[in-house]
Amino acid sequence: MWHKISWRLLRHELRRGELTIMAAAIVLSVTAVLSLSLFTERLQSGLLARSAEFLAADRVLSSRRVIDDAWLEAAAERNVQSARRVVFNSMAFAGDQLALIDVKAVSDGYPLRGELKTALQPFGEDQVTDGLPASGEAWVASALFQELQLEIGDSLDVGEKTFTVTRVLTYEPDVGFSVFTDSPNVLINYVDLEATGLIQLGSRVRWNVLFAGDEAGLDDFEQWLLPQLNDDTHNWRSVEDGDSPLARSLQRAERFMLLASLLGVVLAATAVAVAAQRYCQRNYDAVAIIKTMGGSRSQIQAIFIMHLLLLTLISVAVGLLLGYLLQAWVIEFVAAQLGATLPAATVKPYLLASATGLISALMFSLYPLLRLIQIPPLRVLNRDMTGNDSLSWLHWLASGGTIYALLVIYSQQWLLSSALFAGGALAAVLLLSIGRLFIKVSRQAGMQAGSAWRLAMAGLQRRAKANSVQMLSFSTAIMLLLLVLALRNELLADWERQLPADAPNYFIINVDRGDVSSLQQRFAERDIVANDMYPIVPGRMTAVNGVPVRDEVTKEDEAGNQQTGEQREGFGRELQLTWRDTLPPNNILSAGQWWGDNAEPQVSIEAEVAERMRLGIGDVLEFNIGGNVFEVPITSVREVNWGTLQPNFYFVFNTQTLSDFPATFISSFNLPSDRKNELFELFRPFPQVSLIDLDAITDQIREVISQVSLAIGFVLVLVLIAGGLVLLAQVQASLEERQKELVILRTLGAPSKLLSRSITYEFLILGAISGLIATLAMELALWILQTQVFEMAATLHWRFWLIGPLAGAVVVGILGRVSCGRLIRRNTAQLIRSLA
Amino acid sequence: MLIQTTQLQKDVQTTDGILHILQPIDLQIAAGETVAIVGASGSGKSTLLSLLAGLDLASSGDVLIDNEKLSELDEEQRAKLRADKIGFIFQSFLLIPSLTALENVMLPAELAGNRQAEQQARELLGKVGLSERLTHYPNQLSGGEQQRVAIARAFVGTPKILFADEPTGNLDAVTGQKVEDLLFQMNQESGTTLVMVTHDSDLAARCQRVLRMDAGRLSEVQQHVA
Repeated sequence: MWHKISWRLLRHELRRGELTIMAAAIVLSVTAVLSLSLFTERLQSGLLARSAEFLAADRVLSSRRVIDDAWLEAAAERNVQSARRVVFNSMAFAGDQLALIDVKAVSDGYPLRGELKTALQPFGEDQVTDGLPASGEAWVASALFQELQLEIGDSLDVGEKTFTVTRVLTYEPDVGFSVFTDSPNVLINYVDLEATGLIQLGSRVRWNVLFAGDEAGLDDFEQWLLPQLNDDTHNWRSVEDGDSPLARSLQRAERFMLLASLLGVVLAATAVAVAAQRYCQRNYDAVAIIKTMGGSRSQIQAIFIMHLLLLTLISVAVGLLLGYLLQAWVIEFVAAQLGATLPAATVKPYLLASATGLISALMFSLYPLLRLIQIPPLRVLNRDMTGNDSLSWLHWLASGGTIYALLVIYSQQWLLSSALFAGGALAAVLLLSIGRLFIKVSRQAGMQAGSAWRLAMAGLQRRAKANSVQMLSFSTAIMLLLLVLALRNELLADWERQLPADAPNYFIINVDRGDVSSLQQRFAERDIVANDMYPIVPGRMTAVNGVPVRDEVTKEDEAGNQQTGEQREGFGRELQLTWRDTLPPNNILSAGQWWGDNAEPQVSIEAEVAERMRLGIGDVLEFNIGGNVFEVPITSVREVNWGTLQPNFYFVFNTQTLSDFPATFISSFNLPSDRKNELFELFRPFPQVSLIDLDAITDQIREVISQVSLAIGFVLVLVLIAGGLVLLAQVQASLEERQKELVILRTLGAPSKLLSRSITYEFLILGAISGLIATLAMELALWILQTQVFEMAATLHWRFWLIGPLAGAVVVGILGRVSCGRLIRRNTAQLIRSLA
Repeated sequence: MLIQTTQLQKDVQTTDGILHILQPIDLQIAAGETVAIVGASGSGKSTLLSLLAGLDLASSGDVLIDNEKLSELDEEQRAKLRADKIGFIFQSFLLIPSLTALENVMLPAELAGNRQAEQQARELLGKVGLSERLTHYPNQLSGGEQQRVAIARAFVGTPKILFADEPTGNLDAVTGQKVEDLLFQMNQESGTTLVMVTHDSDLAARCQRVLRMDAGRLSEVQQHVA
């Protein structure tokens, strides 16, 4: 019988809209979690695939020795593709000209991720090219055409082998950002490697194997491979490693999405919590009536647990459907924007979303439901009876535990979840106390004001306890909204700073000292925005404070990545040193003083190098430049933003120390792609200058960033909806209390205008205070997040100090007024009857 | 005796000490009797009603319903007793707002596991003149109609005892009179024992016995044979 009653209640209540808030809260939490996690999962695998192109693979194994075929076979057994890539320096001869080149020999399959692009003439229009140079052919970078005055079809000697130049190599996905290593690239087929005769014992060669496959296969292979690797000779890398601007942007975006989704989940859960409380309160009378009619406790338990379960299941199902549709719609939009398809998601987001809905609905209802079941039948005669409060600790425990569990389930990071949770709990306590204080103070202020204000203040004061809880959820919702909004702005601005529309898209290197001014003049004549010219002096660091540095690793590393992360002692290679009078743009002095006019020999060092090598102000470094050995003290330490597309340096000297050494110059500039054809003319007088085209890479970064921005916008909208729902649920929850007061005031003859004003004011004040507290809490949270999680500079957000309270007042005011409007419009008799 | 109390007392603890809401009460009500309890607000009428119905527990003394001592029953057993033997009518009707008139009437019968719940409810609603209103929700019914639904609900389990708390208190005079007539008519037809708390002396006068509650003390006012 009880299941009939339960189903009947649910059916009617759903139809009559009495369960709308509770159902909406559950639906929203499921929708939010599902669409967010589906979306992020799909986008992330899309982005990962995209950024895998920067490695030309999903994983790369580098070695100083030839990598055994057995390892490639082991990969193949696990359905992981592989391709060999060997990189070394050599000289290339064409006719009577010669040049230093980077040779890249690759085997079939390369690149495993991304595409090669080639053209049929230097600096010409390029296109995606399948396949590789055939045996005996070489694809050569534009710069080498310039340097060796090559033409398509010419011969090029590399070691003992003669190649025919068949294409201009314009883009390799794995070219990386390193500017200094690079002599122009020559791409040949792996089968010709031996014939060059350049690979001998002790040759400076970097052996790489690229791997690509599905996650499961890669994980399996990784577990098999990693124990066999040797730290000294092997280096294993994935997309997420590394220090490229893209990797950083991606990591930040990922953290942001995770964080915003977490906040969204917390908001949705809060809405469920508020609604659950209300849901149970609504049923107090029904329980009392059923008990009076002889319903047993077990019957009542069964009726309401089933009622809640059914409601939850229906809502979860609706949420799953909505979430899927929403996400599909957004993905379609994104895909249309990008002209790309995103990989399908796994089943995990569905499980996650269902669990979120079920857990939050059941756990947040646990205590209200317990109270509901304990409602004494005597309530039918004494309407104020609400059962006992003795178990309220259980409520806090269940709610807190649920939120914490959701955080952990969602982020799968104990530390982040614990930090967020502890911070949130602390903030809640603070907010509660501040809220009560505010209400007390404003009550005193309100006594001076007109009657509607006075009534509003009195109302606030009377409901101080309920209001401070209410304010807690208002503040939390507003704070989380502001937080996500501010963080998004910060993140986008940061990317914008990193890649402004006029970000450099070309690097030039090998500029002679004598050509610097005429080149700068040519830039100016053509209205081309160029960065400063930086002199480059190659040299080695040989000792620190008189103690020689260990430098056993030789030039081998030059062929690889110039971002050193591996050397523990010395740099193991020649360094690019520069001199300057002023601090380079986008560098921040973190210790010491910039030299200004001081002519004493001195050097400024990059902060990460300083940390890694345990160097500080006053340490004396010994350098060897072309046989000249000299010592300089460190006088400053700089933070360098490696994300900027400008020349960046570990070591900057003052002019007097370095300017007498032979140097070439380097710079970067921006040239719109429709003016590409000017390049040849521009550099014709400077044949030794090498040009590096960054267009392809910056385009790729922009594309990734625009995808991520879209995703962030989407997250923001969902968080906004969740926040709005919390506010609405909270206002709804307070209606019943207000209803009683309205009856009394109306009966006493208070005009509707006065009542509606006093209610509006009350909500306005509540909203404004909540907004103010929210802004305060947001600044604090943002400061912690920016400095600790996102590694960004912390900033104050003055605009939000206005926006927070204002938005709080307006939104809460309107919600409150609209919700109570219905009550005010009803006549007194109706009101009294509804209360009876 | 169907209802019997011995030295029934109810005290509550207040900040000023113990407040005796009910002084020791000894009361006997025979099966089929109609009894009105009158008295000023706060005199303890409703408290007595809640103790008689087992909605609340006495501080001392006993209530026997159909020879069962309420103080020896736990909450579940008292609920069972109400389901089997007691019907209620309240001043504020206390219908469940999200159930229709028919469903409200069916509720007690269903809770008692009665398989004929729907049929009985339909018949009773017919008797109270609401055959046309079966699928209406309480907020779609007038006050008088709501109380008629409540009367139908009170009789659905064919209870031995009917407790009524100010059954016409929320209704205007004309409607109140009609509801009153209906209540007494149905009570007479089913031979139910009626215990009614009321302010209304006319209504009280229709009962066989009238008891007056005054500051927690109960006294017999009149007794006549119907």
